Amino acid sequence: MLGLLALLSGCAHDPAPLEQLRLSEQALQQAYDTGVPATARALQSAEQKLARARKNMAEEDFKRARVLAEQAELDARLAQAQQLSAQSEAELDVLLLQLQRLRKQLSEVN
Amino acid sequence: MRVLFCSMVLLLAGCASPQHSEEALVPAREAFQQVKSDPQVLQYAAKDVLRAGESLARAERLAGYWGSAGDVQHFAYLSQAYSAIAREHTQQALNRQRLQRLQGERERLQLSLREARLLSVQQHSQWLEDQVLSLQTEGGERGLVLSFADMAFDTGRAELKAVASRTLLKIVQLLQLNPARVVRVEGYSDSLGNKAMNMQLSQQRAQAVADALVDLGIRRERVEVVGYGEAYPLSENASARGRAQNRRVEVVFSDERGRLPPARP
Repeated sequence: MLGLLALLSGCAHDPAPLEQLRLSEQALQQAYDTGVPATARALQSAEQKLARARKNMAEEDFKRARVLAEQAELDARLAQAQQLSAQSEAELDVLLLQLQRLRKQLSEVN
Repeated sequence: MRVLFCSMVLLLAGCASPQHSEEALVPAREAFQQVKSDPQVLQYAAKDVLRAGESLARAERLAGYWGSAGDVQHFAYLSQAYSAIAREHTQQALNRQRLQRLQGERERLQLSLREARLLSVQQHSQWLEDQVLSLQTEGGERGLVLSFADMAFDTGRAELKAVASRTLLKIVQLLQLNPARVVRVEGYSDSLGNKAMNMQLSQQRAQAVADALVDLGIRRERVEVVGYGEAYPLSENASARGRAQNRRVEVVFSDERGRLPPARP
């Protein structure tokens, strides 16, 4: 009867998602390396989900662990992409300011 | 048997209804619709759009089954994340392109500014140039120092005037010939008026000189900026002449290994 219950809840045959966990950890590390601020929502979400996935791994709830780890991976990738966009935005701002200054100087010298 | 029955009821109750799945699907569909109908996103983030579509299709398929609400939500979540990533990647690509274009423009402007400054030097009289440029080789700790006199700026303002061109070009030339050398730009004011304002003005004038050097093609890492306010006067502050001498910007050169003389305390 216990076996039947386990079957119904659908977690008996899920293999341990070791590779997915590794991918998620890697994605999170890349987000850190890119300089994503600790306050970024997507990063916090990734961290929380990865922590819960690890907990589920320990409890051998592999289905839930996989789901959370997959979401954590994408959260981390989103955090990294947002950070890179913000960085290029900031570079643009600096450059635009410099161009403005250059044009002003040119008009003054000429 | 009763236990099993109870568990089945619980399991069924735990499954969300199709309406529940629908709630997760709607925002994912909207996000996907947006990215797939944006030609720029398709151009720069096709792979992300593809994945968003795959995950969404999986969520839609699963939505027809009882007991799959959790999976529907999961794949809808992944789809939405891929759509968001697609938008970010597109923004990045567009920003990079714009950066490249603007960098080209900066180079052109720097070149014309250098030419214009050269021209303006040729047009200015020797007397004016001598007033602005005073080349000093103070032996000892301060090393080579080039300075901008007060008349390089308008009274109370931080913008460099065209008459400063010759000194600027001289510094740029020196830095280009000695790629390992760096400079520290130091601003000084007279002692008239508010101390804090003097400090601010001295910093702004030093910054203006530093910016002008960067605009002429010197890398920002080679230019340090500091304001000393009314400290270290060259002359007494009692006369107008003395005060004018004290209002200046000094550019201190490092040795050929990039080591600057120590900053003033």
